[in-house]
Amino acid sequence: MTLNYRAMKNFSIHNKNRKWPKYLAVAVMLLVVLFILNIFVAPVRNAFYTISKPIQGALWTAGNFSAGLLGGAFKYGSLEKENENLKQENQKLLSQIATLQSIEQGNQAQSDVSLACQNSDFQYVMAGVVGLDKDIISISKGSANGIAEGMPVINQQNILVGKVFKVYKNFSDIMLVSNKNSVINVKIQQQNVITDTSASATLPAEIDGVLKGDGGLTAHLDLVPINSNINPYDVLVTSSLEKSFPKDLLVGKILQKTKNDQEPFQKAQISLFFDVKTADNLFVITNYKNPK
Amino acid sequence: MWKKSIITILLFCFFALLQDSFITHFSFFGAVPSLVFALFFTLAFFVKESNIYQIITLAIIAGFFLDIFSFTYIGPSIISLIIIGILLKYIQSALTTRDESYPFSYFLPLFIGFILLNELFIGLYIHFLDINKLILSFDIKIIYYALYSSIFATLFFYIYKRNLKNFR
Repeated sequence: MTLNYRAMKNFSIHNKNRKWPKYLAVAVMLLVVLFILNIFVAPVRNAFYTISKPIQGALWTAGNFSAGLLGGAFKYGSLEKENENLKQENQKLLSQIATLQSIEQGNQAQSDVSLACQNSDFQYVMAGVVGLDKDIISISKGSANGIAEGMPVINQQNILVGKVFKVYKNFSDIMLVSNKNSVINVKIQQQNVITDTSASATLPAEIDGVLKGDGGLTAHLDLVPINSNINPYDVLVTSSLEKSFPKDLLVGKILQKTKNDQEPFQKAQISLFFDVKTADNLFVITNYKNPK
Repeated sequence: MWKKSIITILLFCFFALLQDSFITHFSFFGAVPSLVFALFFTLAFFVKESNIYQIITLAIIAGFFLDIFSFTYIGPSIISLIIIGILLKYIQSALTTRDESYPFSYFLPLFIGFILLNELFIGLYIHFLDINKLILSFDIKIIYYALYSSIFATLFFYIYKRNLKNFR
């Protein structure tokens, strides 16, 4: 690489200083246009999404299909399908475990709410996923369908996806639990104690923690007391402390814990149950009221 | 002229849709490449240094589509791309060779540098100026993002160089 100073001098920005009022006028004009455009940002964006929705929907489905095809290219054809079915079955079972554990703890009120959640007493709006950008997904329903900001979003297996972040007339943005701005109170359900369902069994105290999004569809568990015993494969569900979401919604499982005696809390790597890549339809809970 | 402008707008629009809905299924360690930025950078790289208005036009089109599919206001990407376009031309005017005006050895490091700069601009904007006050911290994923995007930029570079030289 050589520095060509003559070329630098010839560069239009430097040798034509008399043109600066022209550039300034262009810059001012651009800022004015942007300002006006941003006054109408919601209808502009809504119109754009409404027009592009069929193409986006088709591209999302095609991407989903292609990713599945490429992902399974080195496997036997049926294996992937079977794996997906088992995954869904497992998630349903984990959901039932979450409810059962609440009953075991003798908290009738808690289990009632939990069962209400599991038995679909909530009202849902089903919406298709059309786009993803920086852990914020776009869905194909908006305020015209009764969706409002802050509403919880789950998938068909009662797995927490996130909450409604921005609403336009015909589409909405959902902030995923993996977004860097997402912080959720969770409780940890230890898998090794679930098997003993007798009433006399001693159940461990509920372990609370906080799930923090890391971006890139990943998250970690934080603020778990250092003396709490957490293990890989322990399941995380939304806590009763969490006001934005119904409790006992499945969130993820622990992959690996990070314990440092110098710190008052322990952390853990989490595998989120929700896989945005395989998501086609999501459900927005429209009648969830934050408990006071 | 009009034909060229319409093709450019349609191309950016299609790539924005592709990036938001299709490519997102092919993330690499959580990183999704920016096709729009890669296309903008490739086209801007081949624009003649004196044609600053063409750079601004490209930045407005590409930035608009980046912003419309984002959760921010419309504008940050446009301004960021205009700055990047002008800086690119400034650096290119300083880096020239006798035999080839637009060598790949300049293209790739410049692309990686500028895509990181773009992320920095947008991150700073969102953190300090955007009403949503979101956080976009920088970590190893941004390197994956730059490298993944550079694959597409390389592809665009050679496609442009071999087939579309007359397009500019």
